[in-house]
Amino acid sequence: MDITRNQPSAGRFWSWFIPIRRDIGSWAFALNRVTALGLTFYLFLHLVILGKLAQGPGAYDEFLVLTENPLIKLGEWAVAAAAVLHGLNGIRIILTSFGVGVTRQKQLFYGFMAIAIVVILFFTARMY
Amino acid sequence: MSQTTLSSPVSEPRPGENTWIWLIKIVTGPLLIIVLGLHLAVNHYLGTMASGLMTYQDIIQYYQNPIIPTIEIIFLVTVVTHCLIGLRGIILDTNPSRNVLSIVTWLLVILGVSFVGYGIWLAVAIASQG
Repeated sequence: MDITRNQPSAGRFWSWFIPIRRDIGSWAFALNRVTALGLTFYLFLHLVILGKLAQGPGAYDEFLVLTENPLIKLGEWAVAAAAVLHGLNGIRIILTSFGVGVTRQKQLFYGFMAIAIVVILFFTARMY
Repeated sequence: MSQTTLSSPVSEPRPGENTWIWLIKIVTGPLLIIVLGLHLAVNHYLGTMASGLMTYQDIIQYYQNPIIPTIEIIFLVTVVTHCLIGLRGIILDTNPSRNVLSIVTWLLVILGVSFVGYGIWLAVAIASQG
């Protein structure tokens, strides 16, 4: 397998989002980055929104009403799913960083993604 | 961001990424999984709203225990650090010049310090409303 093919560059940034002729390693690589970018954006948005707590109960509870909006709920679901996928993919990276399961990375990836699907299904059922 | 691709042997620091910075990202990862799990469980499942979310009063009451804002601030520092080191790693993937990387690094430091400062102020402001 050609390692350099998996290394993105500025000009190939958008190739992360193209699911054609992609091997499992590229999926793991792209999944980690796409979820990281999404979660980083959400973190700062979350902090800004929590600023409503400093404005008193009216402002915050008004925001809470918004959380019942189906689009906002879908966004919450996406954030939670991204966190689970990024976290479990991250555990695989940490394990291999310290020499654990280096020769079984594909199995580790499939195993962690199977756990991720179970966790995502659990909170999907809980949310809806 | 250092990343195994399943075809590379192990995750390791990228060119331009200090080993200690890489190690901080790797160590804060599992720490975040634990703290984020607790944060989500408390804020999204134990509140008095039908959805499990906390109301304003729930949060003010919750923050009266000094351990809570302390944990939330530790969580904030950890998550901001992990995010921004990761973001820098992703930018490193695009092979920026040394000058661009230096500017990006400083911008990320300023962004991180600003948000941690804002978060600490917010935690103290919430706790003081009780």
